[in-house]
Formats: sequence, structure tokens, C-alpha cells
Amino acid sequence: MDTSLSRRGLLRAGATAALAAPLLAACGRTPAADTADGDKTFTLYWNAGHGYDAYAKVVKKFEADHGITVNWQKFQWPDLQTKLTADMQAGTVPDLVEDDGSGWPITYATSGDALALDDFIAKDGEKVGFPHDWQDNALRNVQYKGKTYGVPLHLTCNLLFYNKTMFADAGLRAAPSTWDEFLSAARKLTHGRQYGVALNSDFGYAPPWILQNGAKYWDPASRQAMTPAGKATEALAFQHDLIHRYKVSPVPVASSDYEGPEKLFVANRAAMMLSGPWDFAPIKQAAPKLDFGLALPLSHTTRATNFAGSGVFIPAKARHPDLAWDLITRLTALDVELAATAETGMTMPRKSWADSAKVKADPLVGAVAKALAYGQSWPNGVAATGKATQLSDAWKSAYESTILSNGGAAKAVDGFRAAAAKLVGG
Amino acid sequence: MVATLERRAAPAVRRRGSPMRRRQARTAFAFLAPALVFFALLFFYPLGNEFVTSLFAGTRADQFAGLGNYTRAFGDGQIRHAFAVTLQYGLGALVLSVVLGLALAVILNQKLRGRAVFRGILLVPYLTSIAIVGLLWRNILDPQVGILNRLLVTAGLPEQQWLGDHPLATLIGITVWQQTGYVTVLFLAGLQGIPDLYYEAAAVDGASVWRRFRHVTLPLLAPTTLFVSIIGVISSLQEFALPYLVTGGGPAGATDLFVFRVYQTSFSFRDFGYASALSYLLLIVILVLSVVQLKVGQRNAT
Repeated sequence: MDTSLSRRGLLRAGATAALAAPLLAACGRTPAADTADGDKTFTLYWNAGHGYDAYAKVVKKFEADHGITVNWQKFQWPDLQTKLTADMQAGTVPDLVEDDGSGWPITYATSGDALALDDFIAKDGEKVGFPHDWQDNALRNVQYKGKTYGVPLHLTCNLLFYNKTMFADAGLRAAPSTWDEFLSAARKLTHGRQYGVALNSDFGYAPPWILQNGAKYWDPASRQAMTPAGKATEALAFQHDLIHRYKVSPVPVASSDYEGPEKLFVANRAAMMLSGPWDFAPIKQAAPKLDFGLALPLSHTTRATNFAGSGVFIPAKARHPDLAWDLITRLTALDVELAATAETGMTMPRKSWADSAKVKADPLVGAVAKALAYGQSWPNGVAATGKATQLSDAWKSAYESTILSNGGAAKAVDGFRAAAAKLVGG
Repeated sequence: MVATLERRAAPAVRRRGSPMRRRQARTAFAFLAPALVFFALLFFYPLGNEFVTSLFAGTRADQFAGLGNYTRAFGDGQIRHAFAVTLQYGLGALVLSVVLGLALAVILNQKLRGRAVFRGILLVPYLTSIAIVGLLWRNILDPQVGILNRLLVTAGLPEQQWLGDHPLATLIGITVWQQTGYVTVLFLAGLQGIPDLYYEAAAVDGASVWRRFRHVTLPLLAPTTLFVSIIGVISSLQEFALPYLVTGGGPAGATDLFVFRVYQTSFSFRDFGYASALSYLLLIVILVLSVVQLKVGQRNAT
């Protein structure tokens, strides 16, 4: 048998493989980005916890109406951010993205990676009710230099969850309304292995306290972070004292999730926690018989809480911006909002949603709708600096040094303000 | 002398010109080609691309910065902190893994009943996905809802708060738990390669168990120890999953390992040029440490 021929063949095969490899690699990119005109795939990035049936029905109808396949990819927030950042860098972006409400549309707008929606709004805004039917503060994190880069999808806020049975057992007739009442109730409710409250290891749960003491995370006018510093320090110190001085809350441990308080709440180990409508479904699932109520955000110098929620935006290099806008209008329609609320208890940004009789009649959803009146924007436009994530990282460290590691609040706030000044001036 | 050189040189000339030799070389290249293509495309090309990226700044890495990203790293307090934390983590994990792995290997090298089963069990943590390991330990160690504290309370012992009080040591402990089985197997292979003759000779000379271990076992295990050390240092310096899964790098940066910081720099801060430079600096550190370990190991072996 003449083997030399087969060796040549093998070499040829190797050379062919070498030449084909880059082509094959190119074929492995995001489907939405690698096809020419006539592309029939629409890529949608979504939060893993928000794949509601109400939205699935909308997506199905959208597919049928346009003869297109929606590649609906769902991620946890950090993974979504990682994937999106890599996509932006590679230029292979999805058509529509759900953002975490912290200002991603502005962050990406500052680098030219988010699409301004003003032309769409001029054409369809009146018809779909955007932005006039959206609560004003909800729009704070989607507008940059006079243009709109995103549409709020959910509008939630942090408020006080309390265990009605534990309150009754402790002789407490009403939920606390001020910091003093809160501390007093927490002390009465703490005994044995039961805590009055469970504070969160996630720094994203600190904003209500800071806002309730009249401080802001970011002041665009003075370009200062955590100001006035004294008020911010007092608020951080109060949280610290709940854990380390009064011992009415367990010490949270550093973690990559935020579910610790909810686990204690459903296990009847904590009588109160700060959370929002995103915890309705997990509580119902873990402890269907738990009798809990929602109180308005607490008051100290002012009654306040921070808005949370999510939104949607279109990347600048999206293949199907027109279709993306069409899907936005469908996902944010009032009937879809009401269906999603009925399904999960999630709260929404439309004024007409808040005015709905169904919303007002639901004790939990209605309570959130009332609390939204006290909502403030925590980022307050910080994304426009282009350094929002670096600031957030510095604040995380400051929060953890005080709340988790029992450090001084003043040192943490001063350190954070110095880091912020270094990052964005002011 | 001249004749000898000629005799040695002649076959070499013949080998270069031999058609058989050329065919063999072509065949060898053909077999190597897939691996070469694989590494060129998926390793060396990204490596080169990353170096180019490290010379640029901005969210799109499109502003030429020269070596600015490299010099910036030396003045960056967060990076120095992350590097120091990583060194502590690497050193702790390596030393404990080697000591425990060696001790277990020595025990398992004895003729014990069920040692094959025990060897298998020891490898299970190493074979388990790091994602599962991270989540498993996070749930075990959670001070409020974790299994460990429930057991401690049941046994009348005080509760632990290791993730809060000693987060870095806790991550080291998890790493040791996962790595020790693998290290044990490597040492076991090394131990089984030591001829009984040496131990018998030492016993005849009246050497105690400790002296046999000290003067026979340890020196003859030097190549294995060197291998384990180099692999251990490399994997420790590159650790990412545990801070990402268990502590989120906290509290207050206490478990902010270097690669986790690189991840934050690229995917949270969108500073790809700087993140690429940091990755290159880590590569240089790993190369230097590996070479130093290799040299020290070779000198000791000599």
C-alpha cells in the first residue's frame, strides 16, 4: 500500500482545516449579528427572574406577527452585564436588552453604545403613552443630554416587610413608622434565635436609610458623592448599630447573593426586612402561610425610599431597532403590565397602572404603589459621569467595611467620598 | 579525534537529505497540525491580541496609551491590595495542601484495609465542579441558615462566623479541601516510585521512622513536591471562581483576588486595556515564580 499519497492527503486536510478554522470560528458568533439582510432572528437579553408568562405571550405574538424567531436569552444580572459588555466590545450585540434600572442606558449612551429613542417616541409616543404615562422619577435613569435611551419596564421600591404574627405575639399593634419606632420594635422582637430585623449583605439595600436621613448618593450640581457627609454617616452608623450595638439583626456575611434576609424572614427567624415586590413570589413559594404585611418606607428627617426596577434599551448596533421598539411598546402596554402584576405581584411604572382598581385592591401591590410616592432616584444621574460602576464598587467596599466588618461609619463614608472625588472630581 | 568528528557528522548529513526522513517529518507535522492550529488560533492569537489591547485605553480600548496601563497598575492601590491578598491566598493554599496531601499520601501508602476506596473518596472534591463546590460551601458555612451551625448548636458548641470573621482563611480552607485529594494522589505516585531497598538499608543502619522520612522519603519526593508547588502556585494565582461565587470579593475587598479584580476591571468598569495589562503582569509574575521554583527545585535535587 502506498502510504505517501495518504500522507499528502493528510497534509492537505490539515491545511484545509487551518484555512477553514477562522471561517468556522466566524460562524460561531451571535446569530443576530452574523447574517445579512433578511435576518429572521431577533435576540433578546432578559433577566432570569422576569420570564413571566405575560411576557412569553407577547413574545410569541411578536414572533407570529413579524415572522421572526426571538432568541430569548435569560441571565442573572451580573451575568447579563458580563455578556453584554463582551458583546459591546465584540460588536455582536442583541436587539433588545433588559437593564437592571441602575442606569445602564445612560452608561452605554456615554460611550455611544445605546440607541437614542427620540425618533421612535416622536412617532409613537403619544399613541403608547410614553413618556407622559410614566411616573416622572422613573425616567431619571434613562435620559442623558436631553435624549431618551431607555424605557422603564418595572418600577419598584424598597419598603418594610413585617411578620404580623410575630408583631402580635410581641404586643405590637402597628408597623413602625420612624427610626425610633423601628429600633424599639426590633428590640422587642429580638429574643432567642429570633431577630427583630435582618439587614442585607448587599449594599443595594442601604439606600432607603441614607435617603431617609436627607443625604444623596450623588449630587449632580456639586458633583459630590454621599452628601451631606454627616447625614450619610449617621444613616450608615444607624444600620451598623442595629447589628453590632443593639444586636437586633444578625451580622450579614459577604456573599454574591442578596437572599439572606428573605431566608430568615420565611423561616420565622427575622420579624422584619427591607425588600420589594421581587420577593413576593419567593416568599409565597417558600412559606405560603406566612402572614406578613408591608409598611410605608420609614421616616427620619424625611420619609423616603429608593426606586428600583428594570428597564429596556436598544444597543446602538442592534440589527433590528424598529422591531425592538415595536417589542418595547408591546411589553410595556398597560394590559401586559396588569397581567404581569396579576401573575407575580411585580409593580410597574405607568401612572395608569397605579390608578387601576385592580392594583389598588391588592393589599401587597397596592402598598408598593403607595410607597412609590416616596421614591427617589438613588443613582440620581451618576451614570452620566461614565464612572457609575467604579463608584458602585467603592460604595460596596465602604458599606461592607461598616456593616459586615464592624468598622467605623465615618471612616467608610470619608473613604468613599475621597475615592469618588478621585474618580469624578467634585 | 578528527576522524571521530567526521564519523559523527556523516550520518547527520545523510539524515537531513534522506527522503524517508523528510516523509517522517511531514507526517509528524501533519499529526501536529491540528494541535498547532488549535493553539495558534485559540491561545497565541488571543494572547497577542490581548497584548495589543493592553496598549490602549477607553471603554472601547481604542485610545493608544503605550505602556500607560502597565505603569498605572504599579500606582493603583486596589491592584496592590488584590495582589497582596492573592499572594496570601496562594501561599496558604499551597502550604496546607502540600502538608496535608503528603501526610495523607504517607498514610495511604501503608497496607490498610479499604485504602483503595479512601483514595477514590479523596479525589471526589477535586473532580467536582468549582461552581458546585462554591455554592455547597456557601450554604454549609452561612452563619444563619447554614448546615454547619445547626450541627454545632445541636452538639452544644458555639456557632461559627468564618465567612464574616476570616473570609480569606475560609476560601483557603475550601481550596485545600478541594485540592488535597489531587495532591495526595500525586504524592502517592511519588511514594510508590521509591524503591523499598532504601528503606531497608536505612532500617539496617538503625534509622528511626522519622529519620527515614526525613532523609529518604522527602529528598526522593522532591520532583513531585516541585511539580505540586508549581501547579499549585499557578492555579492559586489564577483563582477566580471562589470569590465570585462565595464572597463576591468581600467583605470590603478581603477576598478580592487578582483575577477577580481583572474581571471587575473588564466586565464592570469596561476598562479592557487596563484589564489586559493586568493579565499580562500576572502572566509575568507566574512565569518568574515558576522559573524560580524550578531553579530552586533543581538545585535542591542536585
